[in-house]
Amino acid sequence: MLVLARKVGQSIVISDNIEILVIEVRGDQVRLGIEAPRSIPVHRKELLEQIRAENLEAAAQTDVEAASQALGESPET
Amino acid sequence: MRVDTTRFGSIDVDDSAVITMPSGLIGFETCTRFCLIRHRAGENFQWLQSVEEPGLAFVVVDPAAYFDGYEIEISDSDVDRLGLVDAEDAVVFTIVTIRDGGASITANLAAPIVINSKNNIGAQVVLQNELYTTRHALIVRQAAQQTTTAKAA
Repeated sequence: MLVLARKVGQSIVISDNIEILVIEVRGDQVRLGIEAPRSIPVHRKELLEQIRAENLEAAAQTDVEAASQALGESPET
Repeated sequence: MRVDTTRFGSIDVDDSAVITMPSGLIGFETCTRFCLIRHRAGENFQWLQSVEEPGLAFVVVDPAAYFDGYEIEISDSDVDRLGLVDAEDAVVFTIVTIRDGGASITANLAAPIVINSKNNIGAQVVLQNELYTTRHALIVRQAAQQTTTAKAA
């Protein structure tokens, strides 16, 4: 892992099209500004981990009848 | 095509109904082709079933049926990878997690499944809106009550 020290107002450039700017540092919190091409998704890592865990749990639903019972039927029937 | 599933046995799926999700789902990146199964007519949910992995399926619902005012803003990068031209072509599903035998039912509003109905390309889209989490309580309207109401009307 590359470790760089930056000050507020300084940035790093990744490849030739991504720039990450340090906007503000307050206590243990850092605000970053990220400029990247629209084809590059940028997400908070802990959210992706939550989604991964939720998907794993959702996929564990193997009982079709239990799901039917839990969710019921639509009013149209 | 013939699709083997652990939940529904071997089923027939029209080739044109296969949804391609090039990035898979988060945590299941290697499974990229799915189909939608409504196990029983009239059920208000479907199963997003992997065509490649018989044991992989998710309960999905139309979020509009449960969450008034649920709005999603699809990022430019997701619009690009879905090939979306018109917002009306986007079909949105929410993955549901059922816990404790149905005592707890939650919907993942933070990462809906969006499918472009024009080309059947789909993706699990991660929303930037922090109001939406992976676990929103899903309130099931009782089927019995609904039937009674329908009869009365």
